[in-house]
Amino acid sequence: METKQGHVHVDNVEIRFQGRDGPVTALAPTTLELAPQTFTALIGPSGCGKSTLMNAIGGFVTPSSGRITLDGAVIDKPSEQVGVIFQQYALFPWFSALDNVRFGLKRFGLSKREEVDRARAALDEVGLSAHADKFPQALSGGMKQRVAIARTFAFGPKVLLMDEPFGALDAQTRLVMHDLLMRVWQKHKATVLFVTHDVDEALLLADDVHVMSSAPGRLIRHYALAQPRPRALNRAGSDLLDIREDILGLLRPADATAL
Amino acid sequence: MAVTEPSTQRSVVARSFQAGLNAGGSAARSLLSFAFILALWAGVGAAQMVPEAIFPAPWSVLSAGIELAQNGTLAKDLSVSLSRAAIGFAIGASLGIVVGLLTGRIAVVRMLIGPFLNLLRPIPAIALVPVAIVWFGIGEGSKYFVISYTVFLAVWFNTHAGMEYVPDIYLRAARSLGVSRLREFMSVIVPAAAPYIFAGLRLGVALAFLSLVAAELSGASSGIGYRLQEARQYIRTDRMFALLIILGLLGAGVDLIVHRIGQKLVHWQQG
Repeated sequence: METKQGHVHVDNVEIRFQGRDGPVTALAPTTLELAPQTFTALIGPSGCGKSTLMNAIGGFVTPSSGRITLDGAVIDKPSEQVGVIFQQYALFPWFSALDNVRFGLKRFGLSKREEVDRARAALDEVGLSAHADKFPQALSGGMKQRVAIARTFAFGPKVLLMDEPFGALDAQTRLVMHDLLMRVWQKHKATVLFVTHDVDEALLLADDVHVMSSAPGRLIRHYALAQPRPRALNRAGSDLLDIREDILGLLRPADATAL
Repeated sequence: MAVTEPSTQRSVVARSFQAGLNAGGSAARSLLSFAFILALWAGVGAAQMVPEAIFPAPWSVLSAGIELAQNGTLAKDLSVSLSRAAIGFAIGASLGIVVGLLTGRIAVVRMLIGPFLNLLRPIPAIALVPVAIVWFGIGEGSKYFVISYTVFLAVWFNTHAGMEYVPDIYLRAARSLGVSRLREFMSVIVPAAAPYIFAGLRLGVALAFLSLVAAELSGASSGIGYRLQEARQYIRTDRMFALLIILGLLGAGVDLIVHRIGQKLVHWQQG
């Protein structure tokens, strides 16, 4: 394997939008580093700019100042280097599960046979080989997201952005998806940035957790988690539980004073 | 997951059974309505409340229809009219789709011709007939022009709207998957707009029939519209009724076919 890739630098990036009552700062000047092949969670209240930051790394939003680089190259538009998993799955309903995965493989210019084989292997990895020919409408939410995960990992992005990917799923399915994501990620080793509003999810999955605050959006706390995976939040004496308390404390005041 | 659960499967079966019942029910209701109107019409005819020349009885209309079929005019008129509608529709629909794809995705094209086309939309097909005759004479050209013009506007408008409302998330997903612009267009934008395009085509078919008659009412020597005009000169209301019923059935039949094709091709669109 070549040198590790997928090193993201967010360098003093500020993002302002033109709101109805003048400019709005969605993200105050922010610096963040995503080390290659690590898993970083962003957590914060809604409207804290976590999606904005993610969109900027995805190349969908241009920073007002500062710059974002991936392995030294500036990110200024969406590219196949940065994969995105959306909360709404973003599967194409006119393609079967298999064809959705194949769509992401098109840029490799494979033979049809090879393309189909790779797409099938990717679906197999997420346990969906039996559903390859189904259309998204016939799949449950969890299955749709598994197709999306297969589609994104199959084309091999260096960076993977996940915007509350399991936010629309029930708690049971979510746990299954956590295991599955960990398994697939450890195999493909992309650099992951995972936006969530679920503290437990962040603690179970991430190497680094960044807590954000709103108005203006900014990073306010960083936790490096070295605990081995798979993790659980119920073991007595686990420092994860202390961190959990801590983060909940950070997230709480804004809500309490708002009422 | 849920799909394979037996309980869900049962409910799916139950639902499709229900849907079948509903479909059967609606067919039965349509039949009931036709039977009711027919009975009413037969009653009026039998009572001879209105002169036959003004309002013919169902049996007179039926025998007029049989007469038209037997002397060969019906087959000829149908083939002439249907080929006019089909050619006009083909020209109008293909232009409508192409222009809609352009105005929907290319800002300059949209700015230059979008407002103009919107201005044309309220002009009814029949108002164009005099212009069409001056431009294309009373031959087939003017019929194709009137029909394709009407179809074009409907198909263009729907295609354009469909292209404009392609959900942003599909485009973002496509771009993050690194596909070419051409593939994004062909495999994402066009399918995403397809339900709108099909709605436009279906409307276009209905309009092709409407404008067909308008085009044939002035300056034609064959076709259903011409035959209607001819029947007026001889005050053959029975023929008129027969022709109108045939037109109605034909239009409904073609509409149903287009609808079915649309359901097959745009299978992901529910309802």
